[in-house]
Amino acid sequence: MKILGLYKNSQVFKIALAIAILVVCFIGSVFYSQMKKLDATVALIANSNKTQLELEKLLSVISVYETNLRSYIITKDESYIQDRFLSRGKIEESIQNLKELTANDTLANNDINRLQILIENRFKLFRQTLLIAKSKNAVPLDLNEKLLESSHVTQVMKAFVTKIIFSESAKTKFQNDNHQFELRDSIITAFLLVLISLLILWLSFNKMNVDIAELKKANDKLKLLNESYNTAEMTANLGHWMVNLTSDTYSFSDNLFRLMGVAPNAFEPNLENSVKYIHPDDVEQVTKLHMDSLVNRQYTSTIFRYLTAKGELKYIMGVGSFTKNGAGDLIKIGVNYDITSQYKKTLELEKNNKELQYINKELEAFNNIVSHDLQEPLRKIQMFISRLEEKEFEVLSMQGKDYFSKVRATANRMQNLLIDLVDYSRTIKGDKVFSDTDLNAVLNEIMHDLSTNIEEKKAVVNVGNLPIIKAIPFQIKQLFINLISNALKYSKEGTHPEINISSLTITEKEMQDYKISNKEDYYKIVVSDNGIGFKQEYAEKIFLLFKRLETDAKYSGTGLGLAICSRIVDNHKGFIKVKGEPGVGAEFYIFIPKGDLL
Amino acid sequence: MITHQDSMHILLVDDDEDDRAFFSEAIQELKMNNKLTLLKDGNDLMDYLILPEIKLPHVLFLDLNMPGKTGIECLKEIRADTRFKDVSIAIYSTSSSEKDIEDTFIGGANIYIKKPNDFSKLKKVIKEVVNMNWQFHTSGLNIETFFFSV
Amino acid sequence: MKLNFSYDGNIAVKAILQEQLEHLDIKFQLLDLGQIEIGDDVSEQSFTTLQTNLKKYGIQIVDNPKGQLIQKIKDAIIEIVYDKEKFPNITISQYLSDKLNFRYGYITNFFSEYTHTSIENFIILQKIERAKKLIMEEELTLTEISHELNYSSVAYLSTQFKKVTGLTPSLFKRIVVKRREMTNND
Repeated sequence: MKILGLYKNSQVFKIALAIAILVVCFIGSVFYSQMKKLDATVALIANSNKTQLELEKLLSVISVYETNLRSYIITKDESYIQDRFLSRGKIEESIQNLKELTANDTLANNDINRLQILIENRFKLFRQTLLIAKSKNAVPLDLNEKLLESSHVTQVMKAFVTKIIFSESAKTKFQNDNHQFELRDSIITAFLLVLISLLILWLSFNKMNVDIAELKKANDKLKLLNESYNTAEMTANLGHWMVNLTSDTYSFSDNLFRLMGVAPNAFEPNLENSVKYIHPDDVEQVTKLHMDSLVNRQYTSTIFRYLTAKGELKYIMGVGSFTKNGAGDLIKIGVNYDITSQYKKTLELEKNNKELQYINKELEAFNNIVSHDLQEPLRKIQMFISRLEEKEFEVLSMQGKDYFSKVRATANRMQNLLIDLVDYSRTIKGDKVFSDTDLNAVLNEIMHDLSTNIEEKKAVVNVGNLPIIKAIPFQIKQLFINLISNALKYSKEGTHPEINISSLTITEKEMQDYKISNKEDYYKIVVSDNGIGFKQEYAEKIFLLFKRLETDAKYSGTGLGLAICSRIVDNHKGFIKVKGEPGVGAEFYIFIPKGDLL
Repeated sequence: MITHQDSMHILLVDDDEDDRAFFSEAIQELKMNNKLTLLKDGNDLMDYLILPEIKLPHVLFLDLNMPGKTGIECLKEIRADTRFKDVSIAIYSTSSSEKDIEDTFIGGANIYIKKPNDFSKLKKVIKEVVNMNWQFHTSGLNIETFFFSV
Repeated sequence: MKLNFSYDGNIAVKAILQEQLEHLDIKFQLLDLGQIEIGDDVSEQSFTTLQTNLKKYGIQIVDNPKGQLIQKIKDAIIEIVYDKEKFPNITISQYLSDKLNFRYGYITNFFSEYTHTSIENFIILQKIERAKKLIMEEELTLTEISHELNYSSVAYLSTQFKKVTGLTPSLFKRIVVKRREMTNND
């Protein structure tokens, strides 16, 4: 695996290749020098052979000469010696050749020079012998002596030539041995050269193969990526473009053309052509931004419009940033994103938001009217009622007193209604700031606030240990005020109201009924009373706005109290349930999510 | 400093004529040894306070919702002026919203009264407020932390 | 820059009295509980000057004996409220009658007749006043404060606090903090 990894590493491969080429060069140069040496050896051998040949030729000429002279002496036939000057010339020629052959070898050259002297000497003897032989008064003894001397000189000369030939032949043998050796070396070198070349070739081929496979794989991937990118661009309604700042060439993605309302590559991608599709009002701003960015190399982001040939208006979010390509050229890449639908939605949302704000303001104004402007005259009515009651009540007739009580009760009811309305509208509008709220402290405060009411009814309120919850404090207080007030209001005549408030664990049945996946997700607070209760079939209805179950005048309700409770629990992403039994009492179950569900 | 013998000077600023009448009737019926001045709006109040010859009120009952200068504006102006630092300010308003209560106390009010809807309650409240104010001024209690809400 | 500071009224008043009396060459002896004894030989004129000078500091010469008794009662109450360690095993009524040499019944009647409030209310007022100070100092928790002021529970302290101020202790604290922030930002 590691080797494969190294093999794939082009850097390592390059180094290996370089080393291989160096080795090949080295072996090549060694081979060359060996060949050169071999060449020289062959030349030497040839030279030596020629020298030998020439020497033998020389000897044979002298032998022929000698034989001819003998034949003449015996026969006195002049034809035997008529060629003697020709032979002489041949010998001259041979000597000359030998001198040339041994030009590089001083030792051999000296030998040749000595040989020449020997030959001169011999020929002198020849001439003397011939002279004796030709003279009429030849003394056979002299001739014999000359012939003996000649024979002796010839022997010496022959021995000398043989010596030279022998030395040359020894030289040749040495050269020949050398030649054999060098030839073997050269064969090994050549074989190595071929082997290494083959190895390099094989490596290169393999590497190329791997590269090509990888290139093909990458190419496939790129193709797929390109295709999916094209599809993605189409789905996402975006197109991209690039400008090479070095070559000043633009390229647009297919979908960019589509965004402009034309087929891909409908025109040559450049600034002038694409600007034609930008809404005339936006052209200047977009062009300026783009051109400026090319100078200051800053990231750009803008919203503009395309106006297609068909007259379609598209809102485009265009962003651009700079990068460098493989060649080191600075490139600006931009993405144009069709945000028409989002833009329209935002516009609509903004409009709705404004309307909502307006409605909210109206609601607040209404709230003010209810809480102040309506309460103000009512309060005054109540003040006058109290003045009348104090000063004039006694002078009224029985019926007058009755009417008067009703006026007072109605005014009080109206006041309650106004207060509840304000409370209700306060649960609708903003101000939903959640904070850690200690329910024990909240209940404590409520006990103070309701103390008169509780004492009046001789009620017992038991508050268990309650948790600290994430809540809107004033709303959660309102919730419990309403529930406790409710319990006090709908108490049974002749019984002391008993109200229990406690935090309990969620039962399996509740988990099923209310689809609670984890009982740790919610706090469950129970407020139970021993009041008049109600039929279970009304359990859902009692939380509806202005829904009252009791029509009896002594239970004066506004029909808002429990609607407010439901609303508040809603605001806390919880829910409220109730169980009732006529004549026994009611139990309210409040489920408030623990922190993280909000 | 109020001494035991001093009579209380009470000032009421309310644009509602009936409310002023109720208030003055209540003071009368309480038979407290008090001097009551009635003014009908914020501008009148600010003009009155800078009159050279007047004796500053011990407690100023201030309606919030008034035409012209509102109670909140008056509160700000009075509290910005050290000459009036000994004047207790009682906000006298229809609103019972906690935000109004908190905001006015922070703005320098000492007392917050939600206007009662019953005359006897009004008398009770005035009596309580005047007594409490008197206690604060005669018993060396810290005026800076004098808050009373009824 | 605004600074919050605390002060001891008693020391301040004593220092002022000392300064003023020495300034007028009046021989005097400082007694506790808002009393000083001066020589009989003080002239009418220097007495009036003293009176006007002291008025600038909000100090009035009260020579009314009834007023003096009220003052004594108040001082005794303040003493016991602020320094409960001194009187670990004594009720306030016991302490008052011992200290002032009157029956407690007489003291309460006398006090409410003269001050438009009962001794009980005045004690509560003083205790809540102390509670306010402690809350503002922010060193003690509400539980510790209720313990310090001899309340049986935090709930009881809160109830009384609400009765006297109309506010819960936490709202009180919030208002005080915000007021300080506001004046500091001016």
